[in-house]
Amino acid sequence: MTAYIIRRLFATLPVMAVVTVFVFFLLRLAPGDPAAIIAGDDATAADLEAVRAKLGLNLPIHEQFGLWIWRLAQGDLGVSIFSDLPVTRLIAQRVEPTLALTLSTLFVAVSLAIPVGVIAAWQARKLADRAVMVFAVLGFAIPGFLAAYILIWIFAVKLQLLPVQGYRPIGQGFWPFVEGLILPSIALGVTYMALIARITRASMLEVLSQDYIRTANSKGLATKRVLLLHALKNAAVPIVTVIGIGIALLISGVVITETVFNIPGLGRLTVDAVLKHDYPIVQGLIMVFAAAKVLVNLMIDISYAFLDPRIRY
Amino acid sequence: MSILSVRDLATHFHTRDGVTRAVDGVSFDLAAGETLGIVGESGCGKSVTALSIMRLIPPETARITPGSVVEFEGRELTRLSEEQMREIRGKSISMIFQEPMTSLNPVLTVGTQIAENVWRHTGIDKRQARERAKEMLDLVGIADSQRRLDEYPHQLSGGMRQRVMIAIALSCDPRVLIADEPTTALDVTIQAQILDLMLELKEKLGTAIIMITHDLGVVAETTQRVVVMYAGRKVEEAPVGELFARPLHPYTHGLMRAIPRLDIDAETAGRRPRLKEIPGMVPRLDKPIMGCAFAPRCDFATERCRVEAPPLEDHGKGHLAACWEVARVQTVAA
Repeated sequence: MTAYIIRRLFATLPVMAVVTVFVFFLLRLAPGDPAAIIAGDDATAADLEAVRAKLGLNLPIHEQFGLWIWRLAQGDLGVSIFSDLPVTRLIAQRVEPTLALTLSTLFVAVSLAIPVGVIAAWQARKLADRAVMVFAVLGFAIPGFLAAYILIWIFAVKLQLLPVQGYRPIGQGFWPFVEGLILPSIALGVTYMALIARITRASMLEVLSQDYIRTANSKGLATKRVLLLHALKNAAVPIVTVIGIGIALLISGVVITETVFNIPGLGRLTVDAVLKHDYPIVQGLIMVFAAAKVLVNLMIDISYAFLDPRIRY
Repeated sequence: MSILSVRDLATHFHTRDGVTRAVDGVSFDLAAGETLGIVGESGCGKSVTALSIMRLIPPETARITPGSVVEFEGRELTRLSEEQMREIRGKSISMIFQEPMTSLNPVLTVGTQIAENVWRHTGIDKRQARERAKEMLDLVGIADSQRRLDEYPHQLSGGMRQRVMIAIALSCDPRVLIADEPTTALDVTIQAQILDLMLELKEKLGTAIIMITHDLGVVAETTQRVVVMYAGRKVEEAPVGELFARPLHPYTHGLMRAIPRLDIDAETAGRRPRLKEIPGMVPRLDKPIMGCAFAPRCDFATERCRVEAPPLEDHGKGHLAACWEVARVQTVAA
């Protein structure tokens, strides 16, 4: 197990290396001169040169790359063009809301979808199953921002149970923190809930027809044990895979949800930085998102080994 | 004294294409400590009979028809609630299956799969159940049992997995063990080991066995009495020696002639006679069968066989057969 985890850890290194190179060249290869965009329409040649010098764009490309790697190794992602603040600090300030929203969405989606999917498979082709499938199709079809506005209208405007928008850091009390996350998590989570519930159902259905489930029943085990241990553990690998893909999608989905609910997270930072052409921030954010996805993948890979003893790469 | 008594068991599958009568009125008794063989071709309903006794048939399509009786130690199993049935499965009646490669759960350890049966039915704690699981592995002849408890099925060979299945099935000292083709998927040498093990444990524990197989060799080696099934019905029943000495039903007769025999080969060295197969195919079970189900494949069939189903008749020495032409079959067999 330890050897497997170490091998998986090493396997992430080439991916991160490729991402690093990609992020660096992405901005150099993009059409247009960043300096010209930043300096504005009525900039003089001297202004342009000043901006280039500030961004380090006047250096030869290999020196720029070397400098980028050297700083990266020290945890330095550069300085924002507009605010003159270190990118790492800007990102760090915005991590908490995004992380909170992603985790709470995941929690809502997974904790509802898996039981619902298991019940649907168990009750296959009966009423409960049909209800779940209708919900799954609807949930998958409704875009997150639409669900968000509907939820805001019902629960915040009409019933006035929850805040319309905004984010309270966990430092300001647990309940206000949770209150602000409920609607965004549901709005963002509906799609994943539907997706995970469907995969759980399909995967469970396949497993429930296996010989070892008949063996489990021939021992007179309780239905709960047959479903939740004998079947679900076998069905888990595809489910976990989809949850992993879900986390990756969530990181991008957060951009829209943060805008709708006015949450000051990484999504908002991304939108603002892109609109203002603040390249160092965009670079930093890509690195952070890529690292997050690689980390999620690593966790999924490791979880396979715990779920299925036959998996050993 | 019979502990399991099956009367007029009929299990029908209701599908979009109609009703398939997989088992259609089968009766037999199992005495305590006895080994009863059920033989027949694939699709004759022998496995469905076994699953019906356990009530493990797929609930969406299969129905045990009203009027079927499965009486176990005085209790009518077809009328028990699902919860009561679960108390019996794995404890009083347990089952082993044909495919050892797929019958064990791949993601649970061998120890867990044995121990869970024990603590489900005996109420002892998990540590004691694990102790019992180790004893069971020793009993079925798996060496290094302490280490094997923590292994997964994919780390074991097919023969060892079937030993584990036997360990699970016998872990609560059941009164009846139903073995559905327990050796079919195994190598011949392993087959013999597994059969020997089952017989040895049956002696030791006094478990009655229903041995379901298509292999007459297995029947001859392990059983005391045999039920021959064809197209969902019982066509013949006899003590094992009697059946091999005097097969009364043309189907049984045909099965016997399909066994390769070394002694005949030796006598006619060089001129090996062709094995006699039973011509034709098993009939479809989705339409009611007129007359005797075997008639279309039978050398002895007459007009009467095609219209009137023969009843089971007692021909002495506990030998039952359902055939109009028993007298003619016997003259040919002799």
